Amino acid sequence: MTDTMAFWIVQGLHGLQFSMLLFLLSVGLTVIFGLLHFVNLAHGALYALGAFVSFSAVKLTGSYWAGFLLAPVAVAIAGMLLYLGLIKRMRNAGPMNQVLITFGLIFVFLDIFRIFWGDIALGVEEPALFSGPIEFWGIKYSAYRLFVIGLGIFVLGVLHLILSRTQIGAMIRAGVDNEHMAACLGINVEKVFFIVFCVGCALAGLAGAVAAPILSVYPGMGTEILIPALIVVVIGGLGSLKGAMAGSLLVGFIQTFGAVIAPQIASVLVYVLLAGVLIFRPAGLFPARS
Amino acid sequence: MFEKLKPLSVRATLAACVMAAGVGGVNAGETKVGLLLPYVGVYAALGNEIDAGFTLALEESGMAGDFVIVREDTEVKPPVGLAKARKLVLEDEVDVIVGIVSSGVLGAVRDFVDGAQVPLIVANAGNNDATGSRCSKYVARVSFSNAQINRPMGQWLYDSGVRTAYTMASDYAAGHQTMAAFSEAFIAAGGEIVGAEFTPFGKTKDFGPYLSKASAAKPDAIYVFYAGGEAISFVKQYASLGIKGDIPLYGSGFLTSPLYVAAEGPAAEGVVTGAHYAPTLDIPENNAFKAAFIAKTGKAPSEFAVQGYDAGRVLVEAVKSGASGREAIATAMSKVAYTGPRGALSIDPATNNVVQNIYVYETVAGDNGLTQKLIGQIDNVADAVNGCQF
Amino acid sequence: MFHQTKLKTFVLLAILVGLIIYTMNGSYFGRELVVEVAILAILAISVDMVSGYGGMVSLCHGAIFGLGAYAYAAVNVLMGGPPALAVVAAIVAAFTFGFAVGAVTSRTRGIFFIMATLAFGQMIYVMIFDSKSLGGDDGMWGLTRLDLSAIGVNLESGVQFAIFSVLCIGLTYVVAALILRSAFGRTFSGIHENEDRMRALGTPVWKFKALAFGLSGSLAGIAGALAAQHTMFVSPELVIWTFSGEVLIVVILGGLGTLVGPVLGAVVMVFLKHEISNITTYWHMIIGILLIITVMAGGRGIYGGLEQYLARRAAKAAPASGAKTDA
Repeated sequence: MTDTMAFWIVQGLHGLQFSMLLFLLSVGLTVIFGLLHFVNLAHGALYALGAFVSFSAVKLTGSYWAGFLLAPVAVAIAGMLLYLGLIKRMRNAGPMNQVLITFGLIFVFLDIFRIFWGDIALGVEEPALFSGPIEFWGIKYSAYRLFVIGLGIFVLGVLHLILSRTQIGAMIRAGVDNEHMAACLGINVEKVFFIVFCVGCALAGLAGAVAAPILSVYPGMGTEILIPALIVVVIGGLGSLKGAMAGSLLVGFIQTFGAVIAPQIASVLVYVLLAGVLIFRPAGLFPARS
Repeated sequence: MFEKLKPLSVRATLAACVMAAGVGGVNAGETKVGLLLPYVGVYAALGNEIDAGFTLALEESGMAGDFVIVREDTEVKPPVGLAKARKLVLEDEVDVIVGIVSSGVLGAVRDFVDGAQVPLIVANAGNNDATGSRCSKYVARVSFSNAQINRPMGQWLYDSGVRTAYTMASDYAAGHQTMAAFSEAFIAAGGEIVGAEFTPFGKTKDFGPYLSKASAAKPDAIYVFYAGGEAISFVKQYASLGIKGDIPLYGSGFLTSPLYVAAEGPAAEGVVTGAHYAPTLDIPENNAFKAAFIAKTGKAPSEFAVQGYDAGRVLVEAVKSGASGREAIATAMSKVAYTGPRGALSIDPATNNVVQNIYVYETVAGDNGLTQKLIGQIDNVADAVNGCQF
Repeated sequence: MFHQTKLKTFVLLAILVGLIIYTMNGSYFGRELVVEVAILAILAISVDMVSGYGGMVSLCHGAIFGLGAYAYAAVNVLMGGPPALAVVAAIVAAFTFGFAVGAVTSRTRGIFFIMATLAFGQMIYVMIFDSKSLGGDDGMWGLTRLDLSAIGVNLESGVQFAIFSVLCIGLTYVVAALILRSAFGRTFSGIHENEDRMRALGTPVWKFKALAFGLSGSLAGIAGALAAQHTMFVSPELVIWTFSGEVLIVVILGGLGTLVGPVLGAVVMVFLKHEISNITTYWHMIIGILLIITVMAGGRGIYGGLEQYLARRAAKAAPASGAKTDA
């Protein structure tokens, strides 16, 4: 009895851990969508860049935390360059062109990874602080995965506070609601966009660094996780923090418990959910704009 | 245009080497080889290892000048692989094709080379059927079959005291064939499979839910098939979730391949796997091969480099026996036998699959990172005919 | 709105004739490339039909294409049906799936639509990959080609198959043009220009979108049937989502919303990729950069650029009348 109890708690933690990883990845994606009306298919590639940077940082310094800190910074810088070089100009170019540009970026990033880090998958060690399993209430679970769950909740809390309590948060909310109105009210919309884009990229880089010890590091990792992340955004609704979290939890738990209870249909379940949402709530579950 | 330039320049270089060595003009006929490997995509690293091993074998034989090599990239896509195979045969008119990493590409190419009567030496793809129900007189395999590596492990695990096993593998053909062979042998030996799981292939590599399920079944051992990035993730998650302390992990050798094991780190220590090659195998042929490979490329060889080397050796031996042209090479290649880096090796005339030893090794910490400690050896493993008729 | 201009007819015929001449004189691999061009061109036409004229930017046409190829293989191999029936099955399967996607997504717009198509395409990939009866990741082999011996054509011959493929481009183009010129096609374009107005006029928007996506899908199915016959082998790689992106690249490279541009784009893409991959294995990066440059340059594509260039020249020759066309 306690055994089965512990089993389901562990599976619940797996679901939560995967949800948090998806959340870190999709929150940037969804806020950039909502605010800039810009779709960034290269978001997955930025996540992979974060993982590769963290690999190199760990290799050079021997410390996981070097990668943990450096990856978001490096990816934010990459995002900055992309924004100034390409994305700023493409903001009003329509979704088709944005999809194409960022699709081209996926190709470019894939080969950059191959040139600098090779074709062979790489590994990053867990930090010593959270290495291996810990036991509590008769449950044994990966300390590192608990750290990922904690980090996800922490980031959610910080973003929530920023959005609801600070001036920049108010500007972002105003921008998501109505860009032109916000501009008329004297908000420097362009600057807000730039900051949001860089923060979104930094979070993708953070997600990459966090995922690296669990999932290993290889060029295609970004394209593999892109589709679940996009599904999270569509299900959750554009531009909302709540939506990103709700979508992440739904997708994370459906994938995890689907894999445990009904592995044969697990892979299709998420798409069924997506179709349902598109038919009954085409704007997603919690759209930022009604 | 570049197509034509490449083989010419290769030939020119090789010819120059041979002349310098003073061995030129031994054989009358040149043999034209199509090297069909992935140079981009997930298996690019494997393609490069095989290429290096193959080239080494030709150089070592002193007959490099007798071979003209045309390289083509499969991009790990079956339709591309097939198009390139057709090109090699119909446009370049090669005498023999060597390579092929993915079983998907092999499945696509098989009927074509069989119909065109062009010999193909497979240097990796392990699908059982290629030397079973879909075997061909023109297709010989020097690498392994999925069943060949894992069938002996069933008996070996039982003999080492394991009574119940939980199996896990990627949900694609190689995973299914691997587990079928292992489970059948393990059950026949008297063991019991208490659970089996096939995890989605090529999606997010989180094995957490499956590992916890396996752990809850409390088996004596977990036996798995994972390769590449999936192997790295799997081994690390197995350690991180604390299952390592409770249930030992076994698998086919790709799980702890020298190509990936460094990325797995300490998590891989104590994992026991069965493979057709172990770098620490202490025989003169292997020691010489390792030295030559390191001298050529600057890094230690993996099982893939050995497969490439043996593909080259089989071709060289066939040509040495006097074979020239497609039909003669096809006939000669199934009669090749020699002792190479992985010990005694021959091509089974009944199936055209390789007959070889399977080595069981434990990954242990050594002076320079992880190394392999040999703990078992099963000699001359040959696959059953499995419906193969030429 | 679609107009068949003289320039379009000229460019299309020039490409088709050029490809046929190249086939007759080219090497073996040249013919392989011609068939590759044909498959890509047909698929690009089908994508342009909905993306260029209906604003439905699809990232699932690669999946519809693969579904067509698999339907062909299923009927031809699993049921032992004749190739002609298999072609019909490919078209029907592709139409049905296209129609369903079009219907389900009819209320979504812009980026939501793009992502939804991406997800549904990926669903097809997952289902095919997981399906044991369709061969899983091994795929299916032993496919046969259409038997056209009644009209003296032998598709087993490389040259004749390549020419047949080129003629399929022409056929697909004509079908797509006829659909777009029909009353249905004009309503469909009208929805793209102002969906709310069409709704207000009482047009059943979802039916038009679903039907257009289904029809476009059936053209993609033709490309799938052609690909299946070409390689005589199908595998899940046919259905991978990045292929849908590559097709969009071809469309934008040639010229979105021109119908003939995508054909031109397919020619350029296949031969360019072939040349670059001979030089470097990092050709993905070069294609990616090329794509970014094309889009940044205004996204008119090669055909759009050609049209603009000719219009400018005409404007120079007759300055009085040229001012308007340049805008």
